[in-house]
Amino acid sequence: MNDMILEIRHLSKSFGTHEVLRDIDFSVAKGDVTSIIGASGSGKSTLLRCVNLLETPTSGDILYHGESVTDRKVNAAAYRSHVGMVFQSFNLFNNMSVLENCMVGQIKVLKKNKDEARENAMRYLEQVGMAPYINAKPRQISGGQKQRVAIARALAMHPEVLLFDEPTSALDPEMVGEVLSVMRDLAQGGMTMLVVTHEMAFARDVSNHVVYMNQGVICEEGAPADVFGNPQKQETKDFLSRFLSK
Amino acid sequence: MERLVQLGADMAKLWDRCGGDYLNGIKNTLILALVATIIGCLIGLVCGILQTIPHTKNDPPVKRFFLALIRAIVRVYVEVFRGTPMVLQAVFVYYGLPYFTNNAVKFDNIWLAAILVVSINTGAYMAESVRGGIISIDPGQTEGAKAIGMTHVQTMTCVILPQAIRNIMPQIGNNFIINVKDSSVMFIISFTEFFAVHRAAVGQTYLYFPSATIEMIGYLTMTLIASFILRWVEKKMDGNSDYELVQEDSLTMTAGTYRHPNTGTPFDEHSKEYRDRVQQELKHGRTRGER
Repeated sequence: MNDMILEIRHLSKSFGTHEVLRDIDFSVAKGDVTSIIGASGSGKSTLLRCVNLLETPTSGDILYHGESVTDRKVNAAAYRSHVGMVFQSFNLFNNMSVLENCMVGQIKVLKKNKDEARENAMRYLEQVGMAPYINAKPRQISGGQKQRVAIARALAMHPEVLLFDEPTSALDPEMVGEVLSVMRDLAQGGMTMLVVTHEMAFARDVSNHVVYMNQGVICEEGAPADVFGNPQKQETKDFLSRFLSK
Repeated sequence: MERLVQLGADMAKLWDRCGGDYLNGIKNTLILALVATIIGCLIGLVCGILQTIPHTKNDPPVKRFFLALIRAIVRVYVEVFRGTPMVLQAVFVYYGLPYFTNNAVKFDNIWLAAILVVSINTGAYMAESVRGGIISIDPGQTEGAKAIGMTHVQTMTCVILPQAIRNIMPQIGNNFIINVKDSSVMFIISFTEFFAVHRAAVGQTYLYFPSATIEMIGYLTMTLIASFILRWVEKKMDGNSDYELVQEDSLTMTAGTYRHPNTGTPFDEHSKEYRDRVQQELKHGRTRGER
Protein backbone atom coordinates (compact mmCIF):
# COMPACT_ATOMS: atom_id res chain seq x y z
CA MET A 1 0.00 0.00 0.00
CA ASN A 2 1.87 3.02 -1.24
CA ASP A 3 -0.67 5.69 -0.50
CA MET A 4 -0.18 5.30 3.24
CA ILE A 5 1.31 8.46 4.65
CA LEU A 6 1.75 7.21 8.18
CA GLU A 7 1.89 3.68 9.49
CA ILE A 8 2.17 3.11 13.21
CA ARG A 9 3.59 -0.34 13.96
CA HIS A 10 3.43 -1.99 17.38
CA LEU A 11 4.11 1.32 19.06
CA SER A 12 4.65 1.29 22.83
CA LYS A 13 5.59 4.06 25.18
CA SER A 14 6.41 3.91 28.88
CA PHE A 15 7.24 6.66 31.31
CA GLY A 16 9.39 4.78 33.78
CA THR A 17 7.39 1.74 34.82
CA HIS A 18 4.14 3.29 33.73
CA GLU A 19 3.09 1.92 30.37
CA VAL A 20 1.08 4.56 28.55
CA LEU A 21 0.79 2.99 25.11
CA ARG A 22 0.79 -0.71 24.29
CA ASP A 23 1.19 -2.18 20.84
CA ILE A 24 -0.58 0.52 18.87
CA ASP A 25 -1.11 -0.36 15.23
CA PHE A 26 -2.87 1.76 12.65
CA SER A 27 -2.34 3.64 9.41
CA VAL A 28 -3.29 6.95 7.91
CA ALA A 29 -3.87 7.14 4.16
CA LYS A 30 -3.87 10.30 2.07
CA GLY A 31 -7.10 12.25 2.60
CA ASP A 32 -8.05 10.31 5.70
CA VAL A 33 -9.60 12.16 8.59
CA THR A 34 -8.97 9.94 11.59
CA SER A 35 -10.42 10.80 14.98
CA ILE A 36 -8.91 9.32 18.10
CA ILE A 37 -11.39 9.27 20.95
CA GLY A 38 -11.22 7.90 24.46
CA ALA A 39 -11.26 8.89 28.10
CA SER A 40 -8.66 11.21 29.58
CA GLY A 41 -5.46 9.36 30.38
CA SER A 42 -6.05 6.70 27.76
CA GLY A 43 -2.88 7.72 25.93
CA LYS A 44 -4.41 9.60 23.00
CA SER A 45 -2.23 12.67 23.31
CA THR A 46 0.90 10.64 23.98
CA LEU A 47 0.21 8.69 20.80
CA LEU A 48 -0.05 11.90 18.81
CA ARG A 49 3.10 13.29 20.38
CA CYS A 50 4.91 10.08 19.51
CA VAL A 51 3.78 10.39 15.91
CA ASN A 52 5.41 13.85 15.81
CA LEU A 53 8.47 12.56 17.71
CA LEU A 54 7.88 15.01 20.53
CA GLU A 55 8.02 11.87 22.63
CA THR A 56 10.41 9.08 21.79
CA PRO A 57 8.56 5.76 21.48
CA THR A 58 9.89 3.02 23.75
CA SER A 59 9.43 0.39 21.07
CA GLY A 60 7.71 -0.09 17.77
CA ASP A 61 8.02 1.91 14.63
CA ILE A 62 6.50 4.83 12.78
CA LEU A 63 6.71 4.75 9.01
CA TYR A 64 6.37 7.92 6.97
CA HIS A 65 5.81 6.95 3.34
CA GLY A 66 7.20 3.55 4.22
CA GLU A 67 10.39 4.95 5.80
CA SER A 68 11.05 4.57 9.49
CA VAL A 69 11.40 7.88 11.34
CA THR A 70 12.23 6.51 14.79
CA ASP A 71 15.81 5.76 13.83
CA ARG A 72 18.40 7.98 15.50
CA LYS A 73 19.88 8.96 12.15
CA VAL A 74 16.60 10.39 10.88
CA ASN A 75 16.47 14.17 10.94
CA ALA A 76 13.52 14.72 13.23
CA ALA A 77 13.24 18.42 12.35
CA ALA A 78 12.96 17.66 8.62
CA TYR A 79 10.30 15.02 9.29
CA ARG A 80 8.32 17.34 11.54
CA SER A 81 8.23 20.00 8.84
CA HIS A 82 6.05 17.59 6.79
CA VAL A 83 3.77 16.79 9.70
CA GLY A 84 1.94 19.79 11.11
CA MET A 85 0.71 19.87 14.66
CA VAL A 86 -1.93 21.93 16.44
CA PHE A 87 -1.75 21.91 20.22
CA GLN A 88 -4.36 22.12 22.92
CA SER A 89 -2.57 25.15 24.39
CA PHE A 90 -1.99 26.80 20.96
CA ASN A 91 1.75 27.35 21.55
CA LEU A 92 1.88 30.45 19.39
CA PHE A 93 5.19 32.29 19.64
CA ASN A 94 4.54 35.05 22.15
CA ASN A 95 7.31 37.29 20.83
CA MET A 96 5.85 37.50 17.33
CA SER A 97 2.78 38.96 15.71
CA VAL A 98 0.13 36.74 14.16
CA LEU A 99 1.66 37.20 10.71
CA GLU A 100 5.22 36.54 11.90
CA ASN A 101 4.01 33.37 13.63
CA CYS A 102 2.87 32.08 10.26
CA MET A 103 5.98 33.26 8.41
CA VAL A 104 8.88 32.21 10.63
CA GLY A 105 8.70 28.50 9.82
CA GLN A 106 8.51 29.13 6.11
CA ILE A 107 11.51 31.45 6.22
CA LYS A 108 13.70 29.45 8.60
CA VAL A 109 12.74 25.89 7.71
CA LEU A 110 11.50 26.03 4.12
CA LYS A 111 13.97 28.85 3.27
CA LYS A 112 11.35 30.88 1.45
CA ASN A 113 11.92 34.57 0.94
CA LYS A 114 9.94 37.09 2.94
CA ASP A 115 7.46 38.15 0.26
CA GLU A 116 6.64 34.61 -0.68
CA ALA A 117 6.21 33.63 2.97
CA ARG A 118 3.99 36.62 3.65
CA GLU A 119 1.77 35.92 0.67
CA ASN A 120 1.44 32.28 1.63
CA ALA A 121 0.78 33.12 5.28
CA MET A 122 -1.88 35.64 4.29
CA ARG A 123 -3.64 33.04 2.17
CA TYR A 124 -4.03 30.69 5.12
CA LEU A 125 -4.82 33.43 7.59
CA GLU A 126 -7.63 34.50 5.29
CA GLN A 127 -8.80 30.92 5.09
CA VAL A 128 -9.15 30.74 8.87
CA GLY A 129 -10.61 34.26 9.03
CA MET A 130 -7.72 35.85 10.89
CA ALA A 131 -6.40 38.12 8.15
CA PRO A 132 -7.53 41.34 9.89
CA TYR A 133 -5.50 40.45 12.97
CA ILE A 134 -2.07 40.00 11.41
CA ASN A 135 -0.51 42.77 13.51
CA ALA A 136 -1.85 41.49 16.82
CA LYS A 137 0.32 39.66 19.34
CA PRO A 138 -0.95 36.31 20.65
CA ARG A 139 -1.68 37.82 24.07
CA GLN A 140 -4.13 40.24 22.47
CA ILE A 141 -6.47 37.75 20.82
CA SER A 142 -8.96 35.22 22.15
CA GLY A 143 -8.43 31.49 22.53
CA GLY A 144 -10.46 30.59 19.47
CA GLN A 145 -8.57 33.14 17.43
CA LYS A 146 -5.24 31.81 18.71
CA GLN A 147 -6.18 28.31 17.69
CA ARG A 148 -7.19 29.47 14.22
CA VAL A 149 -3.83 31.22 13.87
CA ALA A 150 -2.11 28.04 15.06
CA ILE A 151 -3.92 26.11 12.33
CA ALA A 152 -2.86 28.69 9.75
CA ARG A 153 0.73 28.47 11.02
CA ALA A 154 0.69 24.70 10.57
CA LEU A 155 -0.95 24.94 7.12
CA ALA A 156 1.57 27.52 5.91
CA MET A 157 4.24 24.79 6.09
CA HIS A 158 2.25 22.77 3.51
CA PRO A 159 2.21 19.68 5.71
CA GLU A 160 1.16 16.39 4.29
CA VAL A 161 -0.73 15.46 7.38
CA LEU A 162 -1.99 17.65 10.20
CA LEU A 163 -2.14 16.41 13.79
CA PHE A 164 -4.62 18.00 16.18
CA ASP A 165 -4.08 17.44 19.90
CA GLU A 166 -7.43 18.26 21.52
CA PRO A 167 -7.62 21.56 19.64
CA THR A 168 -10.82 22.71 21.32
CA SER A 169 -10.32 21.46 24.88
CA ALA A 170 -8.83 24.71 26.19
CA LEU A 171 -11.49 26.90 24.62
CA ASP A 172 -14.59 28.53 26.00
CA PRO A 173 -17.73 26.81 24.69
CA GLU A 174 -18.65 29.67 22.37
CA MET A 175 -15.26 29.51 20.67
CA VAL A 176 -15.28 25.79 20.00
CA GLY A 177 -17.54 26.26 16.99
CA GLU A 178 -15.26 28.60 15.08
CA VAL A 179 -12.30 26.22 15.38
CA LEU A 180 -14.34 23.15 14.50
CA SER A 181 -15.75 24.86 11.43
CA VAL A 182 -12.23 25.66 10.23
CA MET A 183 -11.29 22.02 10.76
CA ARG A 184 -14.41 20.85 8.96
CA ASP A 185 -13.52 23.02 5.97
CA LEU A 186 -10.02 21.58 5.95
CA ALA A 187 -11.34 18.03 6.01
CA GLN A 188 -13.67 18.79 3.12
CA GLY A 189 -10.75 20.31 1.24
CA GLY A 190 -9.04 16.93 1.32
CA MET A 191 -6.49 17.57 4.09
CA THR A 192 -5.17 14.45 5.78
CA MET A 193 -5.89 14.84 9.47
CA LEU A 194 -5.31 12.93 12.66
CA VAL A 195 -7.46 14.42 15.39
CA VAL A 196 -7.46 13.65 19.10
CA THR A 197 -10.77 15.03 20.28
CA HIS A 198 -13.55 14.98 22.80
CA GLU A 199 -15.95 16.44 20.23
CA MET A 200 -17.98 13.36 19.42
CA ALA A 201 -20.12 15.15 16.86
CA PHE A 202 -16.99 16.11 14.96
CA ALA A 203 -15.62 12.58 15.14
CA ARG A 204 -18.90 11.15 13.94
CA ASP A 205 -19.73 13.61 11.17
CA VAL A 206 -16.39 14.75 9.78
CA SER A 207 -13.96 11.87 10.10
CA ASN A 208 -13.97 8.76 7.97
CA HIS A 209 -12.15 6.66 10.52
CA VAL A 210 -12.56 6.53 14.29
CA VAL A 211 -10.13 4.99 16.75
CA TYR A 212 -11.35 4.38 20.28
CA MET A 213 -8.53 4.08 22.79
CA ASN A 214 -8.82 2.68 26.27
CA GLN A 215 -5.96 2.31 28.78
CA GLY A 216 -3.20 2.58 26.25
CA VAL A 217 -4.53 0.20 23.63
CA ILE A 218 -6.76 0.56 20.62
CA CYS A 219 -10.01 -0.94 21.80
CA GLU A 220 -12.04 -0.53 18.67
CA GLU A 221 -11.68 1.20 15.34
CA GLY A 222 -13.60 1.55 12.14
CA ALA A 223 -15.93 3.78 10.19
CA PRO A 224 -17.72 6.33 12.37
CA ALA A 225 -21.09 4.86 11.51
CA ASP A 226 -19.98 1.48 12.86
CA VAL A 227 -18.16 2.66 15.96
CA PHE A 228 -20.88 5.11 16.97
CA GLY A 229 -23.86 3.22 15.57
CA ASN A 230 -22.96 -0.31 16.42
CA PRO A 231 -20.08 -0.56 18.89
CA GLN A 232 -18.84 -4.10 19.40
CA LYS A 233 -16.95 -3.85 22.67
CA GLN A 234 -18.52 -3.23 26.04
CA GLU A 235 -15.91 -0.51 26.88
CA THR A 236 -16.82 1.40 23.73
CA LYS A 237 -20.51 1.16 24.54
CA ASP A 238 -19.92 2.44 28.07
CA PHE A 239 -17.71 5.28 26.89
CA LEU A 240 -20.11 6.38 24.19
CA SER A 241 -23.16 6.19 26.40
CA ARG A 242 -21.37 8.32 28.97
CA PHE A 243 -20.49 10.89 26.35
CA LEU A 244 -23.63 10.93 24.27
CA SER A 245 -25.96 11.15 27.24
CA LYS A 246 -24.42 14.53 28.11
CA MET B 1 20.82 73.26 60.64
CA GLU B 2 24.20 74.78 61.34
CA ARG B 3 25.72 71.41 60.60
CA LEU B 4 24.00 71.22 57.24
CA VAL B 5 25.21 74.69 56.30
CA GLN B 6 28.72 73.70 57.34
CA LEU B 7 28.46 70.49 55.32
CA GLY B 8 27.24 72.43 52.29
CA ALA B 9 30.11 74.90 52.58
CA ASP B 10 32.67 72.09 52.89
CA MET B 11 31.19 70.29 49.92
CA ALA B 12 31.36 73.48 47.85
CA LYS B 13 35.01 73.92 48.88
CA LEU B 14 35.77 70.32 47.94
CA TRP B 15 34.01 70.65 44.64
CA ASP B 16 35.98 73.80 43.83
CA ARG B 17 39.19 71.99 44.46
CA CYS B 18 38.47 68.48 43.14
CA GLY B 19 35.28 68.86 41.06
CA GLY B 20 37.05 67.81 37.87
CA ASP B 21 38.43 64.71 39.58
CA TYR B 22 34.97 63.70 40.80
CA LEU B 23 33.52 64.09 37.32
CA ASN B 24 36.38 62.11 35.85
CA GLY B 25 35.76 59.39 38.46
CA ILE B 26 32.09 59.27 37.53
CA LYS B 27 33.02 58.96 33.88
CA ASN B 28 35.44 56.08 34.58
CA THR B 29 32.95 54.30 36.82
CA LEU B 30 30.20 54.54 34.22
CA ILE B 31 32.42 53.35 31.37
CA LEU B 32 33.73 50.45 33.45
CA ALA B 33 30.26 49.43 34.64
CA LEU B 34 28.74 49.69 31.16
CA VAL B 35 31.45 47.83 29.26
CA ALA B 36 31.79 45.16 31.95
CA THR B 37 28.02 44.64 32.12
CA ILE B 38 27.80 44.21 28.36
CA ILE B 39 30.72 41.76 28.24
CA GLY B 40 29.43 40.02 31.37
CA CYS B 41 25.99 39.60 29.79
CA LEU B 42 27.56 38.07 26.69
CA ILE B 43 29.54 35.64 28.85
CA GLY B 44 26.37 34.85 30.80
CA LEU B 45 24.39 34.38 27.62
CA VAL B 46 26.91 31.91 26.21
CA CYS B 47 27.10 29.99 29.50
CA GLY B 48 23.32 29.95 29.87
CA ILE B 49 22.81 28.71 26.31
CA LEU B 50 25.49 26.03 26.68
CA GLN B 51 23.93 24.79 29.89
CA THR B 52 20.46 24.40 28.39
CA ILE B 53 21.39 22.35 25.32
CA PRO B 54 18.94 19.44 25.51
CA HIS B 55 20.37 15.98 25.95
CA THR B 56 18.66 12.60 25.90
CA LYS B 57 19.76 9.07 26.61
CA ASN B 58 19.63 8.39 22.87
CA ASP B 59 22.35 10.89 22.00
CA PRO B 60 25.73 9.51 20.95
CA PRO B 61 28.15 9.13 23.90
CA VAL B 62 30.60 11.71 22.50
CA LYS B 63 27.95 14.39 22.45
CA ARG B 64 26.81 13.49 25.94
CA PHE B 65 30.38 13.59 27.22
CA PHE B 66 31.04 17.06 25.79
CA LEU B 67 27.75 18.41 27.09
CA ALA B 68 28.53 17.07 30.56
CA LEU B 69 32.03 18.58 30.37
CA ILE B 70 30.68 21.98 29.33
CA ARG B 71 28.13 21.94 32.12
CA ALA B 72 30.82 21.03 34.66
CA ILE B 73 33.14 23.82 33.50
CA VAL B 74 30.36 26.41 33.58
CA ARG B 75 29.31 25.18 37.00
CA VAL B 76 32.83 25.58 38.43
CA TYR B 77 33.18 29.02 36.86
CA VAL B 78 29.87 30.18 38.31
CA GLU B 79 30.52 28.80 41.77
CA VAL B 80 34.07 30.20 42.04
CA PHE B 81 33.34 33.70 40.79
CA ARG B 82 30.00 34.02 42.50
CA GLY B 83 31.41 32.68 45.74
CA THR B 84 34.43 34.97 46.19
CA PRO B 85 34.58 38.74 46.74
CA MET B 86 35.32 40.80 43.67
CA VAL B 87 38.01 42.71 45.53
CA LEU B 88 40.00 39.49 45.99
CA GLN B 89 39.37 38.45 42.38
CA ALA B 90 40.89 41.79 41.35
CA VAL B 91 43.95 41.13 43.49
CA PHE B 92 44.33 37.62 42.11
CA VAL B 93 44.03 38.72 38.51
CA TYR B 94 46.08 41.91 38.71
CA TYR B 95 48.85 40.83 41.09
CA GLY B 96 48.43 37.06 41.01
CA LEU B 97 48.87 36.49 37.30
CA PRO B 98 52.25 38.30 37.08
CA TYR B 99 53.31 36.59 40.31
CA PHE B 100 52.60 33.08 39.06
CA THR B 101 53.88 33.64 35.54
CA ASN B 102 57.08 35.48 36.49
CA ASN B 103 55.74 38.67 34.98
CA ALA B 104 55.11 36.95 31.65
CA VAL B 105 51.44 37.86 31.98
CA LYS B 106 50.87 41.31 33.38
CA PHE B 107 48.49 44.12 32.80
CA ASP B 108 50.04 47.20 31.24
CA ASN B 109 46.62 48.71 31.02
CA ILE B 110 44.72 49.10 34.25
CA TRP B 111 41.47 49.37 32.28
CA LEU B 112 41.96 45.92 30.82
CA ALA B 113 42.39 44.37 34.26
CA ALA B 114 39.40 46.21 35.74
CA ILE B 115 37.09 45.36 32.85
CA LEU B 116 38.23 41.75 32.91
CA VAL B 117 37.54 41.29 36.61
CA VAL B 118 34.15 42.99 36.61
CA SER B 119 33.10 41.20 33.39
CA ILE B 120 33.86 37.69 34.56
CA ASN B 121 32.20 38.46 37.87
CA THR B 122 29.07 39.72 36.13
CA GLY B 123 29.20 36.78 33.74
CA ALA B 124 29.04 34.34 36.65
CA TYR B 125 25.85 35.96 37.95
CA MET B 126 24.34 36.36 34.49
CA ALA B 127 24.98 32.71 33.57
CA GLU B 128 22.46 31.66 36.19
CA SER B 129 20.03 34.43 35.29
CA VAL B 130 20.11 33.47 31.61
CA ARG B 131 19.66 29.80 32.45
CA GLY B 132 16.70 30.73 34.62
CA GLY B 133 15.33 32.95 31.86
CA ILE B 134 15.54 30.15 29.32
CA ILE B 135 13.98 27.43 31.47
CA SER B 136 11.22 29.79 32.57
CA ILE B 137 9.87 30.00 29.01
CA ASP B 138 6.83 27.74 28.59
CA PRO B 139 7.91 24.38 27.09
CA GLY B 140 4.97 24.81 24.71
CA GLN B 141 6.99 27.48 22.89
CA THR B 142 9.72 24.95 22.18
CA GLU B 143 7.19 22.32 21.13
CA GLY B 144 5.45 24.78 18.84
CA ALA B 145 8.77 25.56 17.17
CA LYS B 146 9.77 21.90 16.95
CA ALA B 147 6.40 21.00 15.47
CA ILE B 148 7.00 23.23 12.46
CA GLY B 149 10.39 21.64 11.95
CA MET B 150 12.71 24.19 13.54
CA THR B 151 16.07 22.96 14.83
CA HIS B 152 17.29 23.65 18.36
CA VAL B 153 19.41 26.59 17.18
CA GLN B 154 16.52 28.11 15.22
CA THR B 155 14.17 27.60 18.15
CA MET B 156 16.60 29.33 20.47
CA THR B 157 17.41 32.31 18.26
CA CYS B 158 13.89 32.97 16.95
CA VAL B 159 11.61 31.99 19.80
CA ILE B 160 13.22 31.32 23.17
CA LEU B 161 16.02 33.87 23.49
CA PRO B 162 13.99 36.92 22.46
CA GLN B 163 11.52 36.06 25.20
CA ALA B 164 14.16 35.01 27.73
CA ILE B 165 16.20 38.19 27.22
CA ARG B 166 13.11 40.30 27.73
CA ASN B 167 12.47 38.45 30.97
CA ILE B 168 16.02 38.90 32.27
CA MET B 169 16.17 42.62 31.44
CA PRO B 170 15.49 43.49 35.10
CA GLN B 171 18.43 41.24 36.02
CA ILE B 172 20.69 42.96 33.51
CA GLY B 173 19.68 46.29 35.01
CA ASN B 174 20.33 44.92 38.46
CA ASN B 175 23.80 43.86 37.47
CA PHE B 176 24.57 47.20 35.89
CA ILE B 177 23.58 49.02 39.06
CA ILE B 178 25.56 46.60 41.20
CA ASN B 179 28.56 47.16 38.92
CA VAL B 180 28.27 50.94 39.23
CA LYS B 181 28.52 50.59 42.99
CA ASP B 182 30.79 47.58 43.36
CA SER B 183 33.38 48.74 40.85
CA SER B 184 34.44 50.91 43.82
CA VAL B 185 36.54 47.98 45.03
CA MET B 186 38.74 48.46 41.98
CA PHE B 187 40.67 51.08 44.00
CA ILE B 188 42.63 48.03 45.21
CA ILE B 189 44.36 47.86 41.83
CA SER B 190 44.62 51.68 41.71
CA PHE B 191 41.86 52.13 39.16
CA THR B 192 40.70 55.75 39.45
CA GLU B 193 36.98 55.32 39.54
CA PHE B 194 34.55 57.46 41.54
CA PHE B 195 35.38 56.02 44.94
CA ALA B 196 39.15 56.26 44.41
CA VAL B 197 38.65 59.98 43.83
CA HIS B 198 37.05 60.19 47.27
CA ARG B 199 40.10 58.63 48.88
CA ALA B 200 42.41 60.99 47.04
CA ALA B 201 40.30 64.06 47.88
CA VAL B 202 40.15 63.11 51.58
CA GLY B 203 43.90 62.63 51.58
CA GLN B 204 44.36 66.19 50.33
CA THR B 205 41.67 68.01 52.31
CA TYR B 206 40.76 65.84 55.32
CA LEU B 207 37.11 66.67 54.57
CA TYR B 208 36.02 63.07 55.02
CA PHE B 209 32.29 63.38 55.59
CA PRO B 210 31.58 66.09 52.97
CA SER B 211 33.39 64.01 50.37
CA ALA B 212 31.40 60.93 51.35
CA THR B 213 28.22 62.95 50.91
CA ILE B 214 29.28 63.94 47.42
CA GLU B 215 29.94 60.26 46.73
CA MET B 216 26.52 59.26 48.03
CA ILE B 217 24.77 61.82 45.87
CA GLY B 218 26.92 60.87 42.87
CA TYR B 219 26.23 57.13 43.14
CA LEU B 220 22.52 57.63 43.76
CA THR B 221 22.24 59.93 40.75
CA MET B 222 24.00 57.40 38.51
CA THR B 223 21.86 54.49 39.66
CA LEU B 224 18.59 56.42 39.49
CA ILE B 225 19.29 57.51 35.93
CA ALA B 226 20.24 53.92 35.08
CA SER B 227 16.99 52.56 36.57
CA PHE B 228 14.99 55.12 34.65
CA ILE B 229 16.66 54.28 31.34
CA LEU B 230 16.23 50.55 31.94
CA ARG B 231 12.51 50.92 32.62
CA TRP B 232 12.21 52.86 29.40
CA VAL B 233 14.08 50.17 27.46
CA GLU B 234 11.84 47.46 28.93
CA LYS B 235 8.78 49.40 27.91
CA LYS B 236 10.15 49.77 24.38
CA MET B 237 10.82 46.02 24.23
CA ASP B 238 7.26 45.23 25.24
CA GLY B 239 6.04 47.07 22.17
CA ASN B 240 2.68 48.66 21.63
CA SER B 241 -0.20 47.28 23.61
CA ASP B 242 -2.61 48.23 20.82
CA TYR B 243 -2.86 46.81 17.36
CA GLU B 244 -4.55 47.91 14.19
CA LEU B 245 -6.96 45.70 12.36
CA VAL B 246 -6.04 45.33 8.73
CA GLN B 247 -9.05 45.49 6.50
CA GLU B 248 -9.23 45.80 2.78
CA ASP B 249 -12.99 46.13 2.85
CA SER B 250 -13.77 48.95 5.23
CA LEU B 251 -17.40 47.86 5.50
CA THR B 252 -16.45 44.60 7.21
CA MET B 253 -16.60 45.46 10.84
CA THR B 254 -15.40 42.74 13.15
CA ALA B 255 -15.88 42.41 16.86
CA GLY B 256 -13.33 44.42 18.77
CA THR B 257 -13.08 47.34 16.38
CA TYR B 258 -15.18 49.65 18.48
CA ARG B 259 -13.03 51.91 20.55
CA HIS B 260 -13.28 52.44 24.25
CA PRO B 261 -16.31 54.63 25.13
CA ASN B 262 -14.13 57.26 26.80
CA THR B 263 -12.14 57.91 23.65
CA GLY B 264 -15.04 57.51 21.24
CA THR B 265 -14.84 57.47 17.46
CA PRO B 266 -15.09 60.47 15.14
CA PHE B 267 -18.67 59.40 14.36
CA ASP B 268 -19.72 59.08 17.93
CA GLU B 269 -22.06 61.89 18.99
CA HIS B 270 -20.19 62.26 22.27
CA SER B 271 -16.87 62.92 20.60
CA LYS B 272 -15.42 66.36 20.22
CA GLU B 273 -14.89 66.00 16.47
CA TYR B 274 -18.52 65.13 15.96
CA ARG B 275 -19.78 68.06 17.97
CA ASP B 276 -17.44 70.45 16.17
CA ARG B 277 -18.58 69.14 12.83
CA VAL B 278 -22.23 69.48 13.73
CA GLN B 279 -21.66 73.03 14.90
CA GLN B 280 -19.87 73.85 11.65
CA GLU B 281 -22.70 72.34 9.66
CA LEU B 282 -25.31 74.26 11.56
CA LYS B 283 -23.40 77.48 10.98
CA HIS B 284 -22.48 77.07 7.34
CA GLY B 285 -24.83 74.41 6.09
CA ARG B 286 -23.67 71.16 4.56
CA THR B 287 -21.55 71.43 1.48
CA ARG B 288 -22.72 69.39 -1.46
CA GLY B 289 -21.00 66.11 -1.98
CA GLU B 290 -20.29 65.62 1.66
CA ARG B 291 -22.20 63.11 3.60
